[in-house]
Amino acid sequence: MSNAVLPSRTVQGQDVRRRRRAGVGKSISVGLLVLGAIGMVAPFLWMFTTSLRDASHAYDLPPQWLPTEWDWGNYAGAVSGPVPILRNMFNSAVIAIAVSVGMIITAPMAGYAFAKLQFPGRNSIFVGLLSSLMVPAQVTIIPLFLLMRTFGLLDNPLSLILPGITGALGVFLLRQFFLGLPQEIIDAARMDGATAWQTYRLIALPLAKNAVSTLGVITFLGSWNAYFAPSIFLNSTDTATLPLALVLMLGPYGAGNVAQVMAATTIAIAPALIVFLVAQRWIIASLTQSAVKG
Amino acid sequence: MTMTAPKTAVPPAPASGRGGRPGPQSTARRREALTGYLFTAPTVIGFLVFVLGPLIAALYLSLTKYNILTAPKFIGLDNYIRMFRDERLATTYGNTLVYVTAAVVLINGFALLFAVLINQRLPRALTYVFRSAYFFPYLVALVYVSIIWQALFQKDTGILNYYLTAMGGERIDWLNSSEFSKVSVIIVDTWRNVGFAMLIFVAALQEVPKDMMEAARMDGASEWQVFHRIILPMISQATFFNITITIIGAFQIYESIIVLTRGGPGDASRSVVMYIAEVAFNKFDMGYASAIAVTLFLIIMLVTMVQFRLRKSWVNNE
Repeated sequence: MSNAVLPSRTVQGQDVRRRRRAGVGKSISVGLLVLGAIGMVAPFLWMFTTSLRDASHAYDLPPQWLPTEWDWGNYAGAVSGPVPILRNMFNSAVIAIAVSVGMIITAPMAGYAFAKLQFPGRNSIFVGLLSSLMVPAQVTIIPLFLLMRTFGLLDNPLSLILPGITGALGVFLLRQFFLGLPQEIIDAARMDGATAWQTYRLIALPLAKNAVSTLGVITFLGSWNAYFAPSIFLNSTDTATLPLALVLMLGPYGAGNVAQVMAATTIAIAPALIVFLVAQRWIIASLTQSAVKG
Repeated sequence: MTMTAPKTAVPPAPASGRGGRPGPQSTARRREALTGYLFTAPTVIGFLVFVLGPLIAALYLSLTKYNILTAPKFIGLDNYIRMFRDERLATTYGNTLVYVTAAVVLINGFALLFAVLINQRLPRALTYVFRSAYFFPYLVALVYVSIIWQALFQKDTGILNYYLTAMGGERIDWLNSSEFSKVSVIIVDTWRNVGFAMLIFVAALQEVPKDMMEAARMDGASEWQVFHRIILPMISQATFFNITITIIGAFQIYESIIVLTRGGPGDASRSVVMYIAEVAFNKFDMGYASAIAVTLFLIIMLVTMVQFRLRKSWVNNE
C-alpha cells in the first residue's frame, strides 16, 4: 500500500510544479508570439499611415504608427502621376483573370482524367507533367523570350497569358482531389447512361468546387504578384503590370515620392487583403494539406 | 479448379474487351481513352510548348554562341568551361548560397519556433489572429513588401535606424554597404516566408498524438526530450518539405534584390538569377546565360530528387 501511495504523491508534486512552470512558459510564449505578430503587421501599418500623410511629412520621425491625418491626396496623386497605374492595374487584372479562368478550366479536366479515366500512357504522361515542377522559370525564360519575339508577342499580355493557362501544380492538386472521390459515384453516373463529359461536368466537377476555387484564387494571386516574367516580356509603361509600374514609380534608389508610392502599394495589396479576409481558412487548409499529405 | 470454373465464371465479355476484339466493352474502353486524351490535351500541349520545348531549347542554346542578331553558332562546352573563369558568376553564386543557407536556417528555425508556440492550448481567437498575422505577408507580392521595406531600411530617414539610434546604436547603411545589403535581403526573405513554413509545421504538429506526449511526460521526460525524441521525428516529413521549398525558393531569389539594393554595392548582393537576366537581356549573350541557367536547373532538380528519395526512405511517415 505505502509503496503505491508514495510514487503517486511525487507524481502529484511534479504535476503542480509542472503546471506552474507551464503557466510561466505560456505567458512567455504568448509574449513571443505577440512580438512576432507586431513585426509582421508593423510594415503594413507604416505603409498605410504614410500613404495618408502629406508627402513633406512622409519621413517625419519619430514614426507615427496610427494615421494622424486622413489625407487621400496621395492616392489621387499616385493615380494621376507619370506612371499610369490605373492602366497598369487593369493590365494586371486582365492577365490574372485570363490566367485563372484558363487554369480552372484546363487543370480540373486533366486532373480528373489522370485520376478517374483509363488510357494508355496515363501514368507516364502524368509523371512527365509533374517533372515540370522541377524546371525553374529562369531556365525556360530565354527560349520563351525568343518564342514570343518570333510570334510578335513581346510587350503583349498574351506572352504571359498563354504560358499561364495550363500548369502542372493545378493538375496535381485536382488529381489529388478526384482520387479521393469514390469510384461508385462515377460508375453510377455512367451506368445511368451519362457520357464521360456529362459525368465530369455534372457530377465530378461540382463536387470539386472548393478545390477549384482554391486553385483559382492561388492562380490569380500568383499572376497578380508576378514580377520575373513580366519584367522580361513587357517593356513599355502602357503594357506594364502593376508590380512593374510600382518599381518604376519607386525610381532608382527609392528616390520617388514615398507617400504616393505607399498609396499605390496600398492599392496593389488590396486583392491579397480581400482574398485573405474572405478565404484564408480554406486556402491555408488546402495549401498545408497538399504539402503534408501529398 | 477447372471443374468449378464454369459455374462461377463471369461472362466472357470483359476478356474479349481486354483482348481488343470489337464489342461494346472495347468501344467504351476506346471512348474512355479518347476522352482521357482530350481532357489532358490542353495541359499536355501547354507543357510541350511552354516547358519541355523551351527546356530542350535552353539545353541546346547553352552549347552555342548566340547574340539574337545572328544565328546560334555551335561551340560545344565552351560556355560551361567559361563559367569556371567567371569571377562575377562565382560572386553571384556565392551570394546565392548565402541566401539559401540563411533561408533554410532562419525561415525554418523561426517557423518551427512559432509553430510550437502557436500549437499550445491557447484561446481559439488568439490562435486565429496569430496565424493570420504570420501568414499575410506570404500572400502579398514580394515586390510590394520589398518596396515597403526599402523605405524602412533607408539610412537617414528609415524607421529601423531611428529605433536603432534611439536605443544607442549606430546608423546602419542597410541597402548600400557591402556588409549589410545581403542582410537586408535576408531579413525581407525570412519575414515574408516564415508564415507559410509555420503553417506547414502547425499542420504537422497537430497530427502528433497528444496522449503520446502526455505519456512521455508522465514517465518523467523533459520538455526538450519530448520535443527532440517525439515531436521532431513525427514532423520530419513537413521539415523535409519546408527545407526543400526554402532551398528552391532561395536559389531563385530575384525581385526583392532588384527593389532593395539593385544587386549592389557592386555585386555584393547580386543573386545568380539577376546575373542570368543581365547576361541574357542586357548583354544579349543568350548562349552563356542559358548555360548558367542550366546549372541552376540541375541544382534544383538535384534538390528535388534528394527530397523525393529521402521522403521515401528516411522520413518517418508511419
